Amino acid sequence: MADAVVTLRLNQQQLELMDRTIAQGVAADRVSLVRLALREYAAARKADAGGEPSR
Amino acid sequence: MTGRAVVSEFVMAPGTGKAIELLAGQILRIEQVDGGQCVDFNCFNLHDYKEFMHCGRTRTVHGFHPTTGTFMWSAPPRERAMLYILADTVGRNDVLFPRCSAYLYESAYGFAVHTNCHDIQAEAQREYGLTPDDVHDSFNLFMCTGVDKDGHASMTRQTTKPGDYVDLLALMDVLAVPNVCGADVMRTSNFSLKPIKLTVLTATAADLARVPDVPRLASQRTPRDFRNPTIKVDRQLRRDPAYKPEFPNTPIRITELPVPLSEDEMAMLAAVKRADIYGSDDAAALRDILFSWWEERFLQGHAGAPSIEHK
Repeated sequence: MADAVVTLRLNQQQLELMDRTIAQGVAADRVSLVRLALREYAAARKADAGGEPSR
Repeated sequence: MTGRAVVSEFVMAPGTGKAIELLAGQILRIEQVDGGQCVDFNCFNLHDYKEFMHCGRTRTVHGFHPTTGTFMWSAPPRERAMLYILADTVGRNDVLFPRCSAYLYESAYGFAVHTNCHDIQAEAQREYGLTPDDVHDSFNLFMCTGVDKDGHASMTRQTTKPGDYVDLLALMDVLAVPNVCGADVMRTSNFSLKPIKLTVLTATAADLARVPDVPRLASQRTPRDFRNPTIKVDRQLRRDPAYKPEFPNTPIRITELPVPLSEDEMAMLAAVKRADIYGSDDAAALRDILFSWWEERFLQGHAGAPSIEHK
């Protein structure tokens, strides 16, 4: 099955934060960073099924 | 090791306050004489009174009851650590309540005149040319407060004893303005007004070594950085016809970022997205996840609070 595409709308400040995070070696590019965030965010909630961490 | 030296001593009588020049490296000890007395406190940069201690910023960093090991911060855009709480024998202070005022005592208790922290602060700092409008929300030492279930700030009696004290170490030259809280018809000071002893001491090298390093950042601006550094000297507000807005980082520009997600990733999104807020808008939900994840992984302090960890 082909990947679905979700199109984020991001402003220049949000992109700057993403790019600085990428520059630290966290992810290869913006798309990879978003996918990493989703996987880690979901994994944290799966591990903490008793309740969502505060945000 | 050289010990602390006493620079000055002063006892504030009930109903009074005192403006004290406290230089960087000096300690102001605020001490209970009889016990059970709240002390309201403000301070200003001694060389620029427009920089002043800000309870709002302080409570976002340190919570509602700052004590030993925390700082008193100045208001944005300065946001500098002005004082460090070196010692606190009680550990119960308040940055929720503003100073009490004449309006409070007239409206709630019917007093035409009553001791109140705003007017006491104003009278004390008048010695340095400041006006009643220059009084700011106070850091309330020894005040025992909390938040009710309905969201209102509440107060109760305190259990301080004679000799209990708070030591404030100046990290810059300040005008420190403590006052004996004027509230004798509420619980703040156990329904009586008592004297408070003030002692200025020189800090030792060991005292100074206890202060954690804090960031020094470009965003901690001074009048040198202001587009308008001139203090307005008249009261009427008038529009500047030459004004052209220069808001930072504007205009806000939107860029679209298409993110391919696998079937598994779409299932993850469906499982954790805030549909209660974003409904079927998966893009908004995924953006929320991205920055919520970022906060969880990288923020050092509470969300919305500045970081004071040295980088």
